[in-house]
Amino acid sequence: MESLNLKHTNFKVFLILVFILLISVESCYSQDTSKVDSAAYKKFLPDYVKLQFAGGIGFLSSGLGYTFFDHKLDVSFFYGYVPKSYTVDDLHSVSLQLTAKLFSIKKYKNIEILPLNIGWFVHHTFGNEYWVSLPDNYPEDYYWWSPGRNAGIFLGGEIKTKLFANKTPASGIAFYARIGTRGLYLSSKFGNSTIPIKDIIELGFGVAIYR
Amino acid sequence: MINKLKILLLISTFFFLSCEDMFDYSSYVVDFEGEDKDVNQTNIKSLLQKDAGSTIRIAFTGDTHREFDEFDSFVNEVNSLNNTTPIDFVIHVGDIADFGLPQQYLWGNSFLLNLNCPYFVVLGNHDLVGNGSLAYSEMFGEYDFSFIYGNIKFVFINTNSREFSFNGEVPNVNWLDAQLKPSSNFTNAVVIFHIPPMDTDFDSTLEADFHSSIAKYNNVLFTVHGHLHHHVVYTPYPDSIKYVNVYSVSNEKFNLISITDGKFELETYEF
Repeated sequence: MESLNLKHTNFKVFLILVFILLISVESCYSQDTSKVDSAAYKKFLPDYVKLQFAGGIGFLSSGLGYTFFDHKLDVSFFYGYVPKSYTVDDLHSVSLQLTAKLFSIKKYKNIEILPLNIGWFVHHTFGNEYWVSLPDNYPEDYYWWSPGRNAGIFLGGEIKTKLFANKTPASGIAFYARIGTRGLYLSSKFGNSTIPIKDIIELGFGVAIYR
Repeated sequence: MINKLKILLLISTFFFLSCEDMFDYSSYVVDFEGEDKDVNQTNIKSLLQKDAGSTIRIAFTGDTHREFDEFDSFVNEVNSLNNTTPIDFVIHVGDIADFGLPQQYLWGNSFLLNLNCPYFVVLGNHDLVGNGSLAYSEMFGEYDFSFIYGNIKFVFINTNSREFSFNGEVPNVNWLDAQLKPSSNFTNAVVIFHIPPMDTDFDSTLEADFHSSIAKYNNVLFTVHGHLHHHVVYTPYPDSIKYVNVYSVSNEKFNLISITDGKFELETYEF
């Protein structure tokens, strides 16, 4: 039963990966191919794809997302993976992120600096032990948190460049970094001067390719 | 412009290199090293290097959850007490990791590592949430374990039945019975666990067998447990075997038990 569930999870993860791959390939080539140039279709293409290192949501995470309000708000979806070489049991997870880009500096040609992005994320880890709603063997409200789904916050910065913009269908490549924490860490730190701040910090960086 | 960008890249590279351990991959990464591995067995080895005196003194704490500052005070108090009246070892009766997070295991052990005597940690229900079961195995070792010190066998057993969906295998009564079976190696025994047998989190189908194993060989001096966060010494069954519910760290008190010639005395210290 357990191996069946695991297979099921792996299959879900595989589907998500294929989905991300297909969408990112599509978004890279759709600009040049006039035959799929219908506006309705384009509306659903993601505005960017991302590859992120660390940041609490995976050793490597691949993501895609949409931007709203004149590039002021990003909504991203990530699939993250931690291979067995970094932990006892490998970890598959997905996360949803909202990022507000508060400032934009366009002083330089071909470079845009976003010095202060603030974000919120919810992170879902796959596996039976990472439940979201309390399993049947517990009375109501036995544990107040869920190991399977938890939320966090982060601050970040981003540098958008026009690198490779002439050579590829992408409009530009951005590099970003983020510093964050999650609710479960914050509530562990709360009221405890003996817990070092660095232990609750989740640093990460990544690259984004814009459509 | 490009130069400025290069400098920025260089600075950020150095910044990132300097905070390597803050690159968190997931809150469920279990990657313990050195003193954070195989803790109970390491402490058994260091305890057995010294000879037990005529009195064995044990300090108890437990249910530390997220009370890390209080946990730190407990460790300091035990260390200073140990300088005047020797304490043989410390027992933590479980719930060292409130959310079962590997990071909470690391925090908990970081305080215990400051103790100037050996220590042992029994498995609590909170320690098992998420992949806490893996973290416990990696950091502390077997869920059920024992050692003999000064002719007394100390038996640590996992009683967190609810966390195993009351599967009838937790606690492992057969293992307990085998541990308590008299042998020439020990005269008395002390049994330590997190959840007491009369609790609703304990498998009720195993309660009678559990206690009858404890009473069977007439060699158990007393049992110790936590989970309920208060302190009381009681005899819940018709025989005279005492159950000691030890103070949780939140009470800012701890119990110290001295065993001499098959008798035990209990004291309470504040911190």
